[in-house]
Amino acid sequence: MERFTLKKLIHMISQREISSAELVSIYFQRIKKYDHFLNSFITLNQESAEEQSLIADKKIQAGNYDLLTGIPYASKDIFCTKGIKTTCASKMLENFVPPYDSTVINQIKNSGAILVGKTNMDEFAMGSSNETSYFGPVYNPWDLERSPGGSSGGSAAAVASGIIPIALGTDTGGSIRQPAAFTGITGLKPTYGRCSRYGMIAFASSLDQAGLLALTAEDIAIFLEAMSGFDPLDSTSVEEPVPQYSDSLHNSIAGKTIGLPKEFFNNSLDTESQRILNQGIEIYEKLGAKITEISLPNVGYSVPTYYVVASAECSSNLARYDGIRYGYRDDNTKDLDDLYRTNRQIGFGDEVKRRIMTGTYVLSAGYYDAYYLKAQKVRQLISNDFEEAFKEVDLIIGPTTQSPAFNIGEKIDDPVSMYMNDIYTISSNLAGLPALSHPVGFFDKLPIGMQLIAPHFHEYQLLNFCHLFQQETDFHLQQPQAFLDD
Amino acid sequence: MTVKKSDINHICDLSKLRIDENEISTFTKQISDILNMINELEEADTNEIKPMAHPMNMSQRLRKDEVISNNDRDLFQENAIDSEDGFYKVPKVID
Amino acid sequence: MKWETVIGLEIHVQLACESKIFSSSSTKYGMPQNTQASLVDLGYPGVLPVLNHQAVVMAIKFGLAVDAEIAEKSIFARKNYFYPDLPKGYQISQYELPIVFNGSIEIPINDKSMKTIRITRAHLEEDAGKSIHDKFDNASAIDLNRAGTPLLEIVSEPDLSSSEEASSYMQKIHQLVRYLKISDGNMQEGSFRCDANISLRPLGSNVLGTRAEIKNINSFKFVEKAIEFEVERQKAILDEGESVTQETRLYDSEKNETRSMRSKEEATDYRYFPDPDLLPILVEKDLIKEIKKELPELFDQKVDRYIKQYSIRKVDAVEIAKNIDIAEFFEALIHHFKENYQQAANWLLSELMGYLNKENISITDLTITADASAELLQKIHENVVSTSMAKIILKQLIETNDSVDEIIEAQGLKQISDRGQIEAIVKEVIELFPDQRDQYLSGKEQVLGFLIGQVMKKTSGKANPKMVNQILLEKLKENRRR
Repeated sequence: MERFTLKKLIHMISQREISSAELVSIYFQRIKKYDHFLNSFITLNQESAEEQSLIADKKIQAGNYDLLTGIPYASKDIFCTKGIKTTCASKMLENFVPPYDSTVINQIKNSGAILVGKTNMDEFAMGSSNETSYFGPVYNPWDLERSPGGSSGGSAAAVASGIIPIALGTDTGGSIRQPAAFTGITGLKPTYGRCSRYGMIAFASSLDQAGLLALTAEDIAIFLEAMSGFDPLDSTSVEEPVPQYSDSLHNSIAGKTIGLPKEFFNNSLDTESQRILNQGIEIYEKLGAKITEISLPNVGYSVPTYYVVASAECSSNLARYDGIRYGYRDDNTKDLDDLYRTNRQIGFGDEVKRRIMTGTYVLSAGYYDAYYLKAQKVRQLISNDFEEAFKEVDLIIGPTTQSPAFNIGEKIDDPVSMYMNDIYTISSNLAGLPALSHPVGFFDKLPIGMQLIAPHFHEYQLLNFCHLFQQETDFHLQQPQAFLDD
Repeated sequence: MTVKKSDINHICDLSKLRIDENEISTFTKQISDILNMINELEEADTNEIKPMAHPMNMSQRLRKDEVISNNDRDLFQENAIDSEDGFYKVPKVID
Repeated sequence: MKWETVIGLEIHVQLACESKIFSSSSTKYGMPQNTQASLVDLGYPGVLPVLNHQAVVMAIKFGLAVDAEIAEKSIFARKNYFYPDLPKGYQISQYELPIVFNGSIEIPINDKSMKTIRITRAHLEEDAGKSIHDKFDNASAIDLNRAGTPLLEIVSEPDLSSSEEASSYMQKIHQLVRYLKISDGNMQEGSFRCDANISLRPLGSNVLGTRAEIKNINSFKFVEKAIEFEVERQKAILDEGESVTQETRLYDSEKNETRSMRSKEEATDYRYFPDPDLLPILVEKDLIKEIKKELPELFDQKVDRYIKQYSIRKVDAVEIAKNIDIAEFFEALIHHFKENYQQAANWLLSELMGYLNKENISITDLTITADASAELLQKIHENVVSTSMAKIILKQLIETNDSVDEIIEAQGLKQISDRGQIEAIVKEVIELFPDQRDQYLSGKEQVLGFLIGQVMKKTSGKANPKMVNQILLEKLKENRRR
């Protein structure tokens, strides 16, 4: 099947080459045909999507439509959708039907795009392999034995295979960028506060950010405009105008400075990935960018800092899941304490439990200063490192992951080695910076990603760099072989 | 640093979790490993550094004191397994 | 051993905001269960808090009124614990960096002298919902209407040394929040309640003893009783050479005792940390200035002004100013009735307050307006009605919608102040009781009262007593001359 970019679909609709109803129907056919190999969707929204496509077609025929009218998209199952099950891939929320739409979903709805379904993910976004999902792992379309990464693994696999053109993800420590790298697509985590967190089920509130997984920077630019902006319902959302990201895609990057943090190019990166990244960097040089080595001296503390901050916040954020007002409820509990413990024991998977336990521990009496407060201070150090670096350079480039996609089952029993997956991505969450991963080459038929990090609210720059790169290369156009038939 | 089983039990008390007896040793080891990894933080020099609670340097926005509410109780309680007469129900609490 | 009592109070004041502290649902009391619990109040997945502007303004008002410092930057923290009426599994409160700190207030003690009580801090937080244990046979019922109601928790230093001082302090704070209009102070509805930390130490010692905390006391009387009971309990323990356990206790007003709350005895570790969903509250100097400008006149100023401006007796001024509702009624009253301020005060304190006390209602429950009251006062002042008639009219005024004139007209309560009419009746009475007349004329002046009584009887009490007195004396004088 042909993987369509969002750009292409918009063109087809505007030229009346295809109707929204046909488009929606094509994607549902693809999902039916391929998703049992991938397990990338948890819930489909077929009936409603088909209805909406008919309405969209009327608008299109009347010439009264917007850029995204009638375009299908998918959402990670972490965004609350009114009347549509939102599970966070947890048994705890297996039957949870939100009575409201998250702000991001609402904004996209207003832009005219049509929600096709809710994608699989690591439970409560806690994981880097999509194996912690209550609904089973997602399989990487490049190699079904392998993980697509996580936690936005369902969105990544669906976009990479071509069964959806674009999908929402969330990124707390790399949950968009790592799966994008593992599946050979483009993924953007915007600046913290750029997109509203209202209605996005919280994992770690000071790190979570909504973002996108798509085939190209151009597609992301178009969609990001629709889902960004200030939200009075989210105190942490930023009152900063949303630029027309598409307008700056073609800007020249000649004379811009790219910093390569020496801490990102050390032994932990495998040699093949290193070689491929270097080729990618040469392309940026060819585009006129100046390359310089920089140092982020404290970035090595990112993983431990993250696991203190994220776990602490999650231990508190997930305290609300008690089965009383919503969520899994065991009907045979003898007292209140038993009610809490049974619902949470059965409702949560092991990884979620580990994070809650770690978070509870680091916040508990006698440990707060040594762990939580210390981590907050180190977070400041890391943030300062970036601030210093951006005085010298326009953009920072590094790897997205240490190596290409690993096998399912390979790391699941060793949490610490799993956590090390996020070694390059976590620091931008800690500092709230926008970051993007795009395909930069292949190793052993598996895609490798390159990560771009920019100062706060410089998403346009990430998209601009990536777009020019994608004009020069075709890594982003390569498709997983197994999904090429028909 | 090693975490003891008793620590795990204490954490479970605080976070209202329950770990089956046969899983406690696995969790104990895993949490120990995680904490050991976290202990690297000790090496960072954070003298004179203020804790950072938030990625953006912003202040709290204030909402107008205005009531916007509908009575959506019935809709909200569709997600509750055990509710009656508009109340949420829990096992009897004896104070 | 002689023991000294050390008490600190934590007073929880429900702020008089229309909407909740972090959501837009109503704070109205007494609504059907869970009809005022929004997604935010219910702690639904994905929802976020946004702070109510009024709650911040009210906290600052309080801070300024107790000469406290207002934090330029204060933060919200999460207090983590599990309870079914705490939907998120944490309460949003302030821990480090409260919005108000280092204040103080003077309280009257022993009727004469004043004592300064230091206020450590006052912080904003959300209230929890309600658990009802007697609704269902085998279950507790949870109502989350109250969840998210804005509270100001006012924490004193342990500067209070008796139950009377504690009660006096609590009353002073109550009066203050009512004056500031930051709370309705309704104690039955739980809008004003306190926790008392009580410990004993050997007299003269500087070291604090182990304290017990008595939770949720909702009346001035109970705070005294609970403390008295607790002091005796601790004394008995300490006198035996035993030590007091640090614990949370509950005051049972029916049995008049405090008892340990065993269910909450589990070692609690609240794991406070800054709430990542809320940003630091930055209070700008201009806002403080603006709020300062709008601070209302407080109790002491009011009493002074009543004495200076209206020449009212101090004891009456204090009595009126005690309760802001009464003071406001008084001020409205004298806005319409300017003849005699002391007379207005007297009438308010004796007649109106007498009625309120008898009916056990508060002045805000009254439908009677200040200008109707002023009209009545004017009639008394002009001798149109007598004081005793005025009592009847007041009752009618309160219980019906009629105007003062309508009542006087309908009931024929108008005072007889017509000289000719009174003269005629006086003449009649003197003729009817010649013996009494003679007794008076022979110097037995107390008989006058009897004669006045007869005149009043004949007029059903409506005759202007002053005139009756005057005319009777005149007529008797004339009799003597004859």
